[in-house]
Amino acid sequence: MLVDLIQQLFNGLVIGSIYTLVALGLTIIFGILGIAHFAHGSVAMFGGYLTFFFIQSLGIGLFPSMALAMVAGALLGVILERVAYHPVRNAPPINAFIIALGLTLIIEKSNLILFGVDQVIIPTGFDRVFEIGGVTFPELRVYILVIAAVLVIALTILIQKTWMGMAVRAVAQNRPAAILMGINVDAVSMFVFGLSSALGVAAGVLVGALFAVAPGVSSGLVVKGFAVLILGGLGSIPGAIIGGLLLGVSETFATAFISSAYKDVIAFLLMIGVLLFKPEGLMRRSATR
Amino acid sequence: MNRFWKLAMAGALAITAPAAHAADKVLTIGVSDALSGGGAVYGEPQRRAINLAIEQINGNGGIAVGDDTYTLETIEYDDKADPTEATNVARKLIDRDGVKYLMGYCCSASTGAVASIIGREDVIMLVGTAGARAITAAGNDNVFRTRPPGDYTGAAAGRFIYDQGVRRLGVVATRDVALFTQYRDALVEAFKEAGGEVVAVETFGGQDRDMTAQLTKVRGLDPDGYFISGYVEQVAFAYRQAHELGITAPRFGFSGGSAEQFLAVASKEAMEGVWDLIAIEFNAEALGDNAKAYAKAYEERWGDYPTPNSAFAHDQVWVLKHALENAGTTELGAVKEALRNLTVPSEVVLEYLPVDGQMFDPKGQAYISNGAFQFHDGDWEFKTKLPSDAAGYSAYFQTIRK
Amino acid sequence: MLTVTDVRISYGQAEVVHGVSFAVEEGECVALIGPNGAGKSTILKAICGLLRPSAGDIVFDGRSVAGLPGHEVARRGIAMCPEGRQMFPEMTVMENLKLGAYRRRSESITPEIDEMMELFPRLRERSTQMAGTLSGGEQEMVAIARALMAKPKLCIFDEPSLGIAPKVVDEIEETLIKIKGLGVTILLVEQAVSMALRVADRAYVLEAGEVVTAGTSQEMSNDPRVQSAYLGA
Repeated sequence: MLVDLIQQLFNGLVIGSIYTLVALGLTIIFGILGIAHFAHGSVAMFGGYLTFFFIQSLGIGLFPSMALAMVAGALLGVILERVAYHPVRNAPPINAFIIALGLTLIIEKSNLILFGVDQVIIPTGFDRVFEIGGVTFPELRVYILVIAAVLVIALTILIQKTWMGMAVRAVAQNRPAAILMGINVDAVSMFVFGLSSALGVAAGVLVGALFAVAPGVSSGLVVKGFAVLILGGLGSIPGAIIGGLLLGVSETFATAFISSAYKDVIAFLLMIGVLLFKPEGLMRRSATR
Repeated sequence: MNRFWKLAMAGALAITAPAAHAADKVLTIGVSDALSGGGAVYGEPQRRAINLAIEQINGNGGIAVGDDTYTLETIEYDDKADPTEATNVARKLIDRDGVKYLMGYCCSASTGAVASIIGREDVIMLVGTAGARAITAAGNDNVFRTRPPGDYTGAAAGRFIYDQGVRRLGVVATRDVALFTQYRDALVEAFKEAGGEVVAVETFGGQDRDMTAQLTKVRGLDPDGYFISGYVEQVAFAYRQAHELGITAPRFGFSGGSAEQFLAVASKEAMEGVWDLIAIEFNAEALGDNAKAYAKAYEERWGDYPTPNSAFAHDQVWVLKHALENAGTTELGAVKEALRNLTVPSEVVLEYLPVDGQMFDPKGQAYISNGAFQFHDGDWEFKTKLPSDAAGYSAYFQTIRK
Repeated sequence: MLTVTDVRISYGQAEVVHGVSFAVEEGECVALIGPNGAGKSTILKAICGLLRPSAGDIVFDGRSVAGLPGHEVARRGIAMCPEGRQMFPEMTVMENLKLGAYRRRSESITPEIDEMMELFPRLRERSTQMAGTLSGGEQEMVAIARALMAKPKLCIFDEPSLGIAPKVVDEIEETLIKIKGLGVTILLVEQAVSMALRVADRAYVLEAGEVVTAGTSQEMSNDPRVQSAYLGA
């Protein structure tokens, strides 16, 4: 029983770490710009396809491909901010909402045109399985957890310790005051879109290695990502980290101890519970946003 | 060309062609199938198989019906596997083209829509690959289908798994596709009836690719066999993850995917020893000489190897030929009667299991043999036929409506 | 140092500042006083680049800053201690101070931090506390310190006494005088006119978007109109 419990916890943390990566990008963008960036999942898939393309066509390794794709994703993010969201930054929020929906369709269809309809699995060669006392740890899943942890720590340091990170937080917390400090809000917005999209691409690559890059995956990612945001608190970075892991583990435990039929329901039950008892989200009033 | 000129030319040919029978007639078959879009991978091969069989029959002197000799021709429409489109096509074929015999029908949703209205029409509908149980379970006396429902195979699979020595079965299966759930329910029931215990039934949804939580849970209950079913893509992930979780007990499945499809997701090692328990559609390895001849003829005619499902439509043409000959008329009532009393024709490709000596049971449903295929060294190998019970299933099938 | 010439500002169709001119010389402390709605804050926003004037010019340090984006104005050396303190509420006091020095982020800012902690000893105790959890007076100190962290050529204080407990207002007054003593050029906007006139060298009185009178603090204190309207004499 304990073996199963640990196994399920591990399963849940792996999935949860991917949710966290997706949610981090969404939450930073929401914190800075107040935009529900629905196209985030499609950007993630774009990066996944691109990584696969780099590996297959250029013959470069997984990690260089992933890094290149993250850079490309960051560029795409910056372009999206400039071309799509920046022009409506002072317009009513419904405009950005409509643009977000439109972008989702455009990027999703572009992926279809560029990369086709077939599912693509990013080859990693990590197919060893470690076993400790009956609990199995597939190599790839362990690496996913490690990569996600490294990215989350790097992001935390960036946001907490650097001038750019402070600027990002300042804009999120008090935009006019940030301007008075000499912070270029446009530059921060572009930076945030670039950073978030790179994180999204990382999530897309991990999904593509563990499962598949395919049409239809992105919407699932975005739905889970926003569920995490509501759980953890809109705009909260610690909330995205805790919320993502919590969602992953809850889904797994729902399967383990209730029934797999309720796996997807549990995300929504959790969200309803949080909205009822802590409407600002689990981590809203805390250290950083 | 208008009808007058067609008749005139036919008349002229009849007069001028010295070897022709005195009363050569043409019987038009309406073909409705998915010829474009996602369903075309099933529909287009059916269309080709129907044309191949018709060319063979016409080439061998046509069909002797009473004193007349008929040759067959087709009018073909693309129903795009879409229910609305398929209903429109049916109306066009019946009302405008005046067709009495409908064929094709690869996909469940479109075929189901047509089947639900066809009982009121003066036509005979010969369904190929479409799998939804209700198409024949509804009990229209003018619908005949070669492809058996999924749960018929499921029951045979349940008995087979028990015969393999499994006593405690863990099930991980898709939750929302009727074909798979009906199969699974029948499998569970047959397995229990044989004396086995099902320790858990865990499910996954249409977009899931992570079944580790379900597999871990079932693994904890320590079954001595697993049954995994759903679309290939998802089942392949389940096999991969089962391997990662160190599951070594026998794994049985129902998905019907090719080795290539599975290996795109799971490694050879993860797939080694996995069973797929499916109706034996066209498979030259598992079936006899007819199948090999069919494959050769199809390849010569169309330049492609036939798809497994194409034989369902191919066989329907031969079914119609024999029914017409037996009836001795093209009058629908008599042909229906002949279809109902038909013994399995010698020319068919698939291996039909007659019920009470007849190819079609009272609801117009035919049954074929089921097979166990096992993954070995990177490919599927045909191992054995499943203990199918066509008569038993048919008796149950008469009692349900959907 | 700062010369505002005939500036007009509109919100949409409505003009709220109708050709205002004034100047702040280096080392001076100038007060802009007047009732609520006179357009004081609007003029400050225009100086800081948050609003674009519809006419007139704002010259700072010899170059026009009218219509420059806000962060550019800040980089030129104008710091603002805004009305309502405008904390970064979920950052520590220390982080708030550091952000004040954002335009000098390539330099070492440790000496300035120490200087501010000396100026406001209470902030030293509070340095790891979230700014949003401080009292109004403490937040005002953070806001003032944050503005000074920029080592600005011109420091603007917008209603520093607004919404602050009366006892603390005296502290703020002392602080402003101390800052003035450091040689910082100050533009002070205040409704607490008597306090403003005690701190400032010169003052402009603004009413309904226009400068109605101006002079040294002494002259203004003695002006009967100012006395009756603002000093309750």
